[in-house]
Amino acid sequence: MEIFVQVLASGLTLGAMYAVSTIGLALVYGALNMLNMAQGALLAFGGYVCFYVMQQLGLPAPVGVLAAMVVGAALGLTIYLMVARPMLASPAFETQIFIATIGIGSVLQSVILQLFGPQPKAQPMTLPGGVSLGGVVVPWQNILILAVAAAMLAGVAWLLGRTRAGLAIRATAQSREAAQLMGIRIGRVYAQVLALSGALAALSGIMVSSLSGLLPTMGADPMLKAFVICVVAGLGNVPGAAIAALLLGILEAVIQYIFGVQYAFAILLALVIGVLIWRPYGLFGKRQVVRL
Amino acid sequence: MSLLEIQGLEAGYGAQAVLRDLSLEIVEGSFAALVGPNGHGKSTALRTVSGLVRARAGLIRLAGERIDRLRPDQIVAAGIVHVPQGDMLFPEMTVLENLRLGAYLPQAATHAANRLEEVFALLPKLAERKHQVASTLSGGERRMVGIGRGLMAGGRILMLDEPSLGLAPIVIDQIYDIVQRLAASGRTILVVEENAMRIAEMADRMHLMDNGRIAWSGPGSEFLSRPEILSAYLGG
Repeated sequence: MEIFVQVLASGLTLGAMYAVSTIGLALVYGALNMLNMAQGALLAFGGYVCFYVMQQLGLPAPVGVLAAMVVGAALGLTIYLMVARPMLASPAFETQIFIATIGIGSVLQSVILQLFGPQPKAQPMTLPGGVSLGGVVVPWQNILILAVAAAMLAGVAWLLGRTRAGLAIRATAQSREAAQLMGIRIGRVYAQVLALSGALAALSGIMVSSLSGLLPTMGADPMLKAFVICVVAGLGNVPGAAIAALLLGILEAVIQYIFGVQYAFAILLALVIGVLIWRPYGLFGKRQVVRL
Repeated sequence: MSLLEIQGLEAGYGAQAVLRDLSLEIVEGSFAALVGPNGHGKSTALRTVSGLVRARAGLIRLAGERIDRLRPDQIVAAGIVHVPQGDMLFPEMTVLENLRLGAYLPQAATHAANRLEEVFALLPKLAERKHQVASTLSGGERRMVGIGRGLMAGGRILMLDEPSLGLAPIVIDQIYDIVQRLAASGRTILVVEENAMRIAEMADRMHLMDNGRIAWSGPGSEFLSRPEILSAYLGG
């Protein structure tokens, strides 16, 4: 029972962190067919902004989180305006933006390295202590991460399902040209989606760094997992990505417990290969819609 | 007076020119048809009017106002409704959601409730299917959603790109029955159609497209009585 609670708590926390960054990735792919390879660097940048605001400026935690999300949104918007938009008309957009965002990621990572140095730093955005559940102490930090992630996912679900902006995002993702013919300004949709995804990446970066510390390269692992989750769920499928993120988080915790940390990622990838052989379009993916 | 006026329009894809000096006028309240063989720019003409394809030269006016430099969303707001080839529905949304998206712009949203009733009156099948997901509909039903979605926008001119494409003959009859009823209600309609003889029986005015420009324009009745027009351009 104690082990069960421990593994579940750690799995849910992992899954929640993955879900927040994966959803941003899935939204961007769904709307623009753009794989944002700078996502990992955005994650790290968010973590460092929060660190800077709290540690150097001495401001309270909510300000740090908010500042990180605003900076993340601004970076996402900048990537759209400066890089994605000029390439959108190109028939090779998907390849070009993939390569371009790898470059942006490297630049951002180097900026972090310049500003904060290569030494690991502790994320000040942490809650001390824990709560006893079934004989196990679950850290408040994990519970906070879960709660924030749940609120964020609910917020994104509300945005997509209940608002006019969300309707425009879904329409654009399902048929770019039809959305334009309905009067949707797709350039604005793209900008909103990248800003939102940048803010979510920053938030995810704060969560990850609150558990494992700040490093300029800290985004690489969560980004890789976010991609894996996106592919498992079916690229561009937002609700599927959230479910797959939680499942993979729990799975990772279970594998870590049974086989040890060093095997977790290898076994995870083996399972993913299995899933993709069984369902090439992902667990929740649909066959490519025929566009005439 | 002409509602839609196209002058010397040139457009294409990459290095490929498709429209070469296209000029065309559509009179308000008329039912016009754009016919001609495949690959001569009929769809591109509609796509350039609605802004999906950028015009390289020439101008497009709607009720006297230039629209050829506007974005597609601005062109919709100006009153151009384009029901594209192959429907382009939102596949994961229901019929109702698809229709509602037709009235996305604020100016259309205020009339959405009334227009939805009108659409259901004209296309009762859609009322039955309103909660069904678009990708599960039959071809004819999809076409109806496409047209209904266009009607939700209101607009000043309805452009239909091959409403008969890929449908069984009996369904084509149903669709053209609907189009004729729309025309009879006084709407300005521009239809792109492969089957020139069929549309000539309905349309007020025929525009025959050949190699990116209009080769012949005239009343539908004249088109029918002079088979040499068709054979000259369609090789029929």
